[in-house]
Amino acid sequence: MLTVGLTYLVLILLAYLLTHWRAPGKARQGLQVARFSLLRVLPLLVAVFLLIGLFEVFLPAQLIERWLGASSGLTALLFSGLAGAIAIGPPLAAFPLAGSLLQAGASPPAVATFIVSWISVGIVTIPFEASVFGTRFALVRNSLAFATALLIGFLVGNLL
Amino acid sequence: MSAPASPMTWRQLLSSQWLLLLAIGLWCWAVWASPERAFEALGVSLRTFASVLPLVVAVMGLVGLIQALIKPERISRLLGREAGWRALFLGALCGMVLIGPAYLIFPLLMTLHRQGARWAVVATILASYAVKIQMIPLEVGFLGWRFSLARTLLTLAFAVPFGLAVEWLVEGRNSHRRGLCSKE
Repeated sequence: MLTVGLTYLVLILLAYLLTHWRAPGKARQGLQVARFSLLRVLPLLVAVFLLIGLFEVFLPAQLIERWLGASSGLTALLFSGLAGAIAIGPPLAAFPLAGSLLQAGASPPAVATFIVSWISVGIVTIPFEASVFGTRFALVRNSLAFATALLIGFLVGNLL
Repeated sequence: MSAPASPMTWRQLLSSQWLLLLAIGLWCWAVWASPERAFEALGVSLRTFASVLPLVVAVMGLVGLIQALIKPERISRLLGREAGWRALFLGALCGMVLIGPAYLIFPLLMTLHRQGARWAVVATILASYAVKIQMIPLEVGFLGWRFSLARTLLTLAFAVPFGLAVEWLVEGRNSHRRGLCSKE
């Protein structure tokens, strides 16, 4: 993630230099907007990362794994959707975890629901999403994303 | 940070930074419950933050560039209502190739929306974002290609209907404003 981030940062800097060369005023205007946006979201991002650390350590993956392994059917689907929605962390961590769930005997629909919900629903980041897009959008999007995760999980389970 | 002087500023602080206050509250509990694990969690937080920070700065830089360089008319022609289905498919495609955690692109997407991209496109991008094209090799490795293929195709198939549904629900109550926005 760091390498990718640094690559993007360098690309954006080059874009700014190019803009500065072609139209100095535009580059300055862009930088002002960038600084303003950054300062506005920084406290929220700090909060989100503080929560990410707490969740990873106090709600470890093994705990989620144990919850999921113990249930089946529709309950498993709902449970895995909820677990994915609460779980926070890079999708990079979702796949190995999902793999171990599958091996531990979790059903494919539950595992698919878990992954889709992990990536597209974020309970911890809802407040941030609401502050950016508005509460209505954040709530509607996350509820529908949750429903879609259940649907995709159900379909994956029946296709395989 | 100095102490707020009046109840009004307290309320402002609470409403604007309640997530930060919540995080601090939970942290106090964590330190009280288990100092070692709280310390470990702090490490996780700092590491995650440090690894994502360049991307955060880059994304904000992009937000600034887009606002300064691209005229709203162009974005709304490409991603607004007048672009029709093309805008939605373009959104699904963009979402597939974007990287990083979703919350990083929220401000970027809001900029696009303010510049004329419709809500359905924003929601579609966030939905197809779950495809994670750069992670598919990893997914195939852990879960098998049949699983990965089925999940990817279904995620893509649902992205556009999902986007439209979100837009319909978000705008439902003030749909009269829709006509105004698209004509401008």
